This record gives sequence, structure tokens and C-alpha cells, in this order.
Amino acid sequence: MNPQLESFRYDDAIVRKFLWATFIWGLIGMTVGLLIALQLAVPALNLDIPWLSFGRLRPLHTNAVIFAFAGNAFFTGAYYSSQRLLKTRMFSDALSAVHFWGWQLIIVLAALTLPLGFTQAKEYAELEWPIDILIAVVWVVFAINFFGTLAKRRERHLYVALWFYIASIVTVAILHIFNNLSVPAGPLKSYSIYAGVQDAFMQWWYGHNAVAFFLTTPFLGLMYYFLPKAADKPIFSYRLSILHFWTIVFLYIWAGPHHLHYTALPEWASTLGMIFSVMLWMPSWGGMINGLLTLRGAWRKVVEDPILKFYVVAITAYGMSTFEGPMLSVRSVNALAHYTDWIIAHVHTGALGWNGFLAFGMIYWLAPRLFQTKLHSQKMAELHFWLATFGIILYVTAIYSAGLTQGLMWRAYDATGRLEYPAFIETVMRLMPMYWLRVAGGSLYLTGMVLFGYNLFRTWKSRPAAYEEPVIQAAPLAGDYEELTAPRPAGALARFAQAAWHRTWERLPVTFTVMVAVAVIVASLFEIIPTFLIKSNVPTIASVKPYTPLELAGRDLYIREGCFNCHSQMIRPLRYETDRYGEYSKPGEFVYDHPFLWGSRRIGPDLAREGGKYPDLWHVRHMRHPKDIEAKSIMPGYPWMLTNQLDFDGIQRKVDAMVMLGVPYGDAVTDAPAMARAQAQAIAQSIASQGGPADLSDKEIVAMVAYLQRLGRDVSAPAAASAAGAP
Amino acid sequence: MRLSDIMSHAGLSTYAEVALVIFMIAFLLIAVGVFAPSRKREFDEASRMPLDDVHPQSPRQSRGDAS
Repeated sequence: MNPQLESFRYDDAIVRKFLWATFIWGLIGMTVGLLIALQLAVPALNLDIPWLSFGRLRPLHTNAVIFAFAGNAFFTGAYYSSQRLLKTRMFSDALSAVHFWGWQLIIVLAALTLPLGFTQAKEYAELEWPIDILIAVVWVVFAINFFGTLAKRRERHLYVALWFYIASIVTVAILHIFNNLSVPAGPLKSYSIYAGVQDAFMQWWYGHNAVAFFLTTPFLGLMYYFLPKAADKPIFSYRLSILHFWTIVFLYIWAGPHHLHYTALPEWASTLGMIFSVMLWMPSWGGMINGLLTLRGAWRKVVEDPILKFYVVAITAYGMSTFEGPMLSVRSVNALAHYTDWIIAHVHTGALGWNGFLAFGMIYWLAPRLFQTKLHSQKMAELHFWLATFGIILYVTAIYSAGLTQGLMWRAYDATGRLEYPAFIETVMRLMPMYWLRVAGGSLYLTGMVLFGYNLFRTWKSRPAAYEEPVIQAAPLAGDYEELTAPRPAGALARFAQAAWHRTWERLPVTFTVMVAVAVIVASLFEIIPTFLIKSNVPTIASVKPYTPLELAGRDLYIREGCFNCHSQMIRPLRYETDRYGEYSKPGEFVYDHPFLWGSRRIGPDLAREGGKYPDLWHVRHMRHPKDIEAKSIMPGYPWMLTNQLDFDGIQRKVDAMVMLGVPYGDAVTDAPAMARAQAQAIAQSIASQGGPADLSDKEIVAMVAYLQRLGRDVSAPAAASAAGAP
Repeated sequence: MRLSDIMSHAGLSTYAEVALVIFMIAFLLIAVGVFAPSRKREFDEASRMPLDDVHPQSPRQSRGDAS
């Protein structure tokens, strides 16, 4: 045999760490999910405590399940499979440790800052700038560790799972950096450098691709490794998996704008997003079929083995949510579904079914191998499977019907041509039974999670005193490797068909990575540049002026409390929208909105034209205790806004940051606190004169009222009357 | 004159379609390459890679002398 065999060991200790992190954060993230589901059914559970209110906990839930649970699950599988697919130990144990602890630190920081109200107000990119920098650093550490491992591999060919990992690592870095570019206005406060339409465009370019390259491609990589492992046979078609890979990379990156149909985004952009989304049907279903057909001839094993059961449901859920996604991206379907619970049901099919079940299947397979013992209870795993499956079914059917119900009620007209349900609250109350069913479904899923943890714990308890670390022997890759293939065929076409070029890519990680990056960047630039640089896409409106300093402070409170999680600020040009909320929103209205606050879900009504609809006192009473105004309201109260002092002196820093972003602030550049105080006095007087509490002039609530009363008024104001300078 | 003025007049709005064509061509090239009959053996080999934790499946020798 080869005399130059090298000896090495796989590093499984790091995999065990990531495995535990996956479980622990999954349990926490899902528990928070259950709590916020309960808060929608029983608003009293907001408890009038700032850090327990829905608007602050909802981002915590999404961040925890995406970046903590799914993220750690990806790292668990990637660290296990990469070493074995490359026949080498990870590049550096130290970098592995920095990656692990760095990532957990980020999660802890997220869990602290989000409930405290520090947020950038961009979905799944809520974390503030110091944490964003930390994420970038830790991600680079992971990338160095991963690419270093590729470099010292002992396999020539890179297995397709690794391609998916490479694409994920490269793309997530690009997405994260460009969407989070912002100007700091304090240690935990920043403003997006993009405004309005452009910010929305960047956000959903990021948001959709976060789904693609954080929840889809990494997990497809895991599927292509762990499914053959569990089934003990190779993937059905390796060729299909390669095609799956390239089509996903080429198409996904374009799909983001389908989140912005009928908004102020130019129509060509959302049409482009829609077309690419529909094309995604092909690779997604190709991938699903590839996964399911791998089990052909092994269905008997599926009956006996809970791991394969988890995989079958995971792959089916992948197929269902990737069928549904393109369907929802079609403009007319989207008109019905957007802003409703339908989208919530859609993402939970994907997250609970695809990501959750793939992670569970993988960990049940890994646990006995990593802890070098038998799984504590096969029966308990089986029970987990059934509980979680029924949990998903209960959850999604309830929330699908909630989405459809609300979407249909919003657009319903009666025989006289008026909105059939003009009171928004009526469309909320109709959802209550569905919200309770969701609580039931979520509880089942969470119960399964607890069984999962107990099973893992008992398995871990029966581990050997010391883990065996078998020594592996393999030959190094020779540097003088030469492509020895069949004789070079004559004729360009024949040579091309031999496809040496693609083979060469596959074997050169650097070239390959560059190719992926090029595909992603080219697509992004082609889509983004026109929105940013062609003026006709965002016509300016002369009467739109920057927010006053006090309104700006109020806007930051709106952001702090997470109001955008339940209220949109984007009226679509559809008759039932304009009848309900007023004049539709125009791109030019948002040119000073750093960040944009269009929102993606209407748990409450749209606020784009809220300004001037109600007296100041109405807002004070409504914010303090919404049920005083609307007895059936499910909005939490914000009584602390009536007692918290407004930080007037801090407003200057906010204005300064806005000026850096090019917002024309005029006098406020030097005099923001005084201007804010003057406006606050006027509002406090108007509240008092309407019979409300006196001396609110230095409280947060006046800033909030100032902001809410400004919303959507500029477009109808005469251009000469400058709102910016108004007292 | 700002960058946005230049870009506005550069007529870039058709670039999305241009990119679509470029991507379509890239896709066709890859599809042809992937389904080239000469690669069947190589892919069969690659598809077995996850199943063996110990022995490299596509080691330093080329496929010609590995067997």
C-alpha cells in the first residue's frame, strides 16, 4: 500500500458542543414563540412589562430559532460531515472554539438587547451595530476554519454537500454586511444608510436570501450528507444534486422583491422577483424528489426508524413550502396573502417541518455516535416524531385559515359597495379560535422538544468514561496531481461535452467559491443598481420634509417598542386598501425613512396615514391602555411611556447621524433639543386642553404622539408649508 | 452632476434582462456538462463519499490508475 499514509483524528468534541447548543437554544426560542402566541390570544400576558411585550419578544423568537437553533444545527452537521467528507480534522481547534463561543456570545447578546428594545427594525437583521460587527468577525473565523479544512483535505473531489456549505458561508457574509450598513448614533443605536424604498429593497434582498442561504442551502447540504448516511445508500441522483445546487444559487438571489408587491417599490423589480421565484419551483422540487427517491426500496426502514421518518417529513415540508413560496410570490395571490397570517403559516411549514425535522433526524442519528452508546429510547424518539408532526399540522392549518379569513375579510365589500368589515378589530376577533389552535399546536411541538432533550440527556448519561478517538489513516493529496483522462477528443463540442472545465471547478475550492460569489454578486448588482441609481424609480415629492427632532425621537420609540412587528406603514394601491386606510403610499414619501418601517404583517391596522386621524389625547389613552379605546383590542399597553423621561439632549445625536446620511435638517443641526422641547410643550398643552393629564411635556409619550400625528400627512400638505420647521 | 445622474442616463434598465440571458447560458452550459455521459463513473464514485468515513473515495490517483 501507499507508504506515505498520514494519521489523524476527527474532532467530535466540537460537534458535541454545537449539538447541545442546538437543543438548548431551540428550546428557548420555541418557548418564547409559544409565549408570544399566547400573548396574541391573551393580551394580558404582556403584563405591562416593557421587556415582555410582544413587539420586543417577537424578534427574539425569530432570531433565536433562525440563528441560534437552525444556525447551531447547521454548524453541528457541518463540523461533523466536513471532516469526514474531506478525510481530515478541522483546520484549527482554536478557531473551532472561537467560532463556537463567539456564536453563543452573539446569541446571549441578542437575548439581552432585543427585549431591552435595542433594534435596527429590519426583520432578521434587528441586532444593533456592535453585535453586527461581532457576527461578521465570528463568521469570518468560521470561514477561515472551513476553507482551511478544505485546503488540507485528503479527498480530491468536493462532495456536493460541501458546495452548499460554501455557498452559504459566502452569501451570508455578503448579505449580512450590505444589509447592516448603518451610521451609529450611540453605543446601541444606528440608522440604516439606505432610506425608504431602497432600504426596503436591501432588507428583502437580505431577508429572502437569509431564508435561502441560512435556512435552505445549509440544510440541503445536511440533507445530502445525512440522508444517505441514515438510509445507508447514496443519493438518488448525484447529477440532479449538482443541478439543484447551481439553479438554487442562480435563482434564489433574485427572488427578494416578491416581498414588496404592490408597495412603493417599482413594479419592474417586484415582477423580476416574482419570475425568479416561480422558476425556483424546478430546483426545489428536483431536490425534494432527489431526497425522497433516495429512500426507494428502503420504505420498510422508514416504518421502523424514527430518523428516516423525520427526514421524510422534513423533505416533504421542504417541497410544500417551496411550492407555496413561488405561489405566494405571484402578484395576485400575494395581494390576498400579504400582511396576513398566511405568511406566518408558510414560514412555520418551512421552519418547523424542514429545518426542525431535519435537525431532529440528524441529531438522533448523531447522538449515539457522538456519545458512543445507544440512543436511550427509540420509542421516545418515535413519540417525539408523532407529537411534533401533529403539532405542525395543527399549527399550520389553523394559521392558514386565519390568514385566508383575514385576507378575505379585508377585501370584502357589501352589496352597497362599502367595506363589509370597516372595523379592523372585527377581522382580529374572528381569528381568536385559530390563535388558540396555534397555541395547542405549538405546545405539542414544544412537548416533543422536551422529550427530545430528555432522550439526549439520558443518552449522554450512558456515555463511556472516556470517548474513543479512532485514528484514521489516509494518504495526502499529491501536489503534482495531473488530470489523467481519456484521450483528448477531437472537435470543440466533444471536448466541451467532456466537461473537464466543470470538473476542474469542483476540485478547486477557491475557484469554485469565486464562481459562487460571482453568481451571487452579479445577480444582486443587476437587481439593486437600477433601484439605487435611476432617479425615475423614486420620484421626489416637494412637500415631503424630514421629521422634526421630536418626531424623530418618537420614531425611535416606535422602533424600540417594535410597533412595526404588528403595524404596516404601506398602503397598497388596491381599492379595499385605499377605502380602509386612505391614499396609497408613494415611493417619494419615504426618502427620509432611515430605516424604512413598512412592516410585513398587520396584526393591527396600517398606520401610513395615521397622522391627524385622532386627537392627541386619543393616542395618549390608547398607548396607555388600548382597551380603554377599543375593548377587544389585543394590543399591549405601553404605560411606561407616560412616566419615562424623554432624553431631549440625546436627540441632537440622532439628528447629527441623520445629517450624516444626507437628510436636510436646517436649523435642527445645531438646535435639536430646544426645538424638540418647544414642540413637546405644544403637544402637552393640547393633551391637557383636551382633558388629559397635565405636565406630559417631558415624557416619552409626547414624542410618540408627535410621530404618530405626522405619519402620512406630508404628501397632502402644500409644498410651501414646511413641516420640518413647525413647532 | 452626481453619480445618479450619470447612471440615470446610461439606460441601465435593460440590464436585468441581459443578466437573465447570461444566467440562462451559464445554466445550459452546466446542465450539458453535468449530464455528459462520460462522467457517470465519476459521479457514482462521488455519490458514495458520505458512506465511508475512513477511506478517501477520490484520492490522489486519477481514476485511471486507482482501480
